[in-house]
Amino acid sequence: MLIRNNQFNVGHICTCLQCELGHSGKLAMKWLGPRGEKASFTFEDLNQQSSRFANILGSLGFAPGDVFFIFLPKIPEVYFAFLGTLKARVIVGTLFSNFGDEALLDRLGDCRAKGVLTRKSYLKKLLRIRDKLPALRRILLVDVDDHPAGDILSLPKLLAESSPQFATPLTPPETPSVLHYTSGSTGKPKGALHRHRSVALQHRTARDVLCLQPDDRYWCTADHGWVTGTSYGIIGPWSLGISQIHYGGVFDPARWSEVLQDERITVWYTAPTALRMLMRQEPAFFSRYDLSRLRHIFSVGEPLNPEIVHWGRKIFGKEIHDTWWQTETGAILIANRPGLPVRPGSMGRPLDGIEAGILADDGAPLPNNEQGNLCLRPGWDSMFIAYYGHDDIYQQKFRQGWYWTGDTARRDDEGYYWFMGRSDDVINTAGHLVSPFEVESALLELEAIAESGVIAAPDALLFEKVVAYVALREGFVWDGDLELTARLHVSNRVSTMATPQEFFVVDSIPKTKSGKIMRRVLKARYLGMDAGDVSALEI
Amino acid sequence: MTTMERLTEIFRRVFADEEIHLRPEMTAGDVDGWDSLSHVNLILAVERGFGIRFQQKELLAFRNVGDLLESIEKKLT
Repeated sequence: MLIRNNQFNVGHICTCLQCELGHSGKLAMKWLGPRGEKASFTFEDLNQQSSRFANILGSLGFAPGDVFFIFLPKIPEVYFAFLGTLKARVIVGTLFSNFGDEALLDRLGDCRAKGVLTRKSYLKKLLRIRDKLPALRRILLVDVDDHPAGDILSLPKLLAESSPQFATPLTPPETPSVLHYTSGSTGKPKGALHRHRSVALQHRTARDVLCLQPDDRYWCTADHGWVTGTSYGIIGPWSLGISQIHYGGVFDPARWSEVLQDERITVWYTAPTALRMLMRQEPAFFSRYDLSRLRHIFSVGEPLNPEIVHWGRKIFGKEIHDTWWQTETGAILIANRPGLPVRPGSMGRPLDGIEAGILADDGAPLPNNEQGNLCLRPGWDSMFIAYYGHDDIYQQKFRQGWYWTGDTARRDDEGYYWFMGRSDDVINTAGHLVSPFEVESALLELEAIAESGVIAAPDALLFEKVVAYVALREGFVWDGDLELTARLHVSNRVSTMATPQEFFVVDSIPKTKSGKIMRRVLKARYLGMDAGDVSALEI
Repeated sequence: MTTMERLTEIFRRVFADEEIHLRPEMTAGDVDGWDSLSHVNLILAVERGFGIRFQQKELLAFRNVGDLLESIEKKLT
């Protein structure tokens, strides 16, 4: 039984409860580092280390409802801190380690984060923006032995001084838990806030969709900066007492295949871009590896094109099951789960208890096979409870009794859903949502650029790529140096994922009379299509 | 300025990190932010910085900084 005595605390359920259920000595995590390092941790280790972290937060004055962030690559401390923060009922946020200064400032500033766990080499990014973050009280470093300053502290030292015992306070289901920032097409990123109750659906879907069994060795390749990395790289599997492999290195076909083989992975949850990169290998490449233990493969983040499904059948002799969900949904809601015949290219069918609908823009239900807005009936356990500090924007996502996902889709006669696109301008590149607004803003910081407009363009590998249109100020000339400067500026201010893959120089960016960038016109221009109604275009 | 010093400057600019000190055996795992996407930036910056061009198959053969350095020096001679 997952919930005992009304204790919904995610940190407690993933560690202490697992020990109570007899899993103390069972492998919880095997970590594989980028340079061949290895470290293994039992559920008892996970329980003690997360308890130490919870005690540290208490001793430093963090209170329930405060926000604490983890800004690290995939290393064991991420998991101890994540679960320890939840045990202390402090809200935990995660950040991609390739975020630039501006991306960090937007997120840490928006929710008035009080603490960050990071490492020495990332500290300079935080110090450059620290004077704009008055609420940030403590920075903890994983790789220094002594405290460098009064408010910059050594985690190893604090861990050594803290108790491994922590009595997790009773945590009601609606208590805020995890905060993930997600990009929209306008304005700054918004923090999708979840609650401890989400564990109920993450647990159920890890069991019933990912079909995790007690003896499985499970590998979720997602970074913890992404909601998949927390819902299914931490919470879902550990709430079931499953042994996980976490690999901290970069993508490499041979290394990934070795991990699958050597770690005897039985269930693998990954992403279409990674699968497409593996598809570039000759079929003979995979015959060098014994992947016979692999029982199920799942994918998330972008639509899974039929070619990947066919390739998976040929190379692995397995179905690759697509799963659909979002940062805001917190857990898988629509899936090609095992037992359901896979329709290549379809995201599958809604889970039991999940009501999905395809609606016209006015909210009217559309018949099967017509494209419309993918909407969900609110109320599932892992539904986000707020965009942190932006109630007005949160409320806009709920209309006429439905949650509007922002995706467009169609439903076939057998109830399978087919992703068609986005109803906004958000760019999905390799599973990461990029806001065109953030990229446009970063480009405008360059002296040479007077106007910018950023769009998504189809890409065979990344699903979508970032494409930038720029208009230059008088006296500037676009050349290779300026393009490199623009690329590096976006990479270091926003993130490498947001870097435009193509630039086009234009005389001016099309805007409405009220000054809104008409990205639809730019996209039509890029695709060589008719721009449609341009009556609102500024002349 | 040696090729290694020039390459170090390029790395510092690409990864916005003045504390990078290159060594031949260093790989992507040793430089914060060196991933598949920033690698494209790095190669573009190296090509522009040294006035050279890489073939696709050359890019795939680089295992570490030393391989990149060796390829640059070959093209410069």
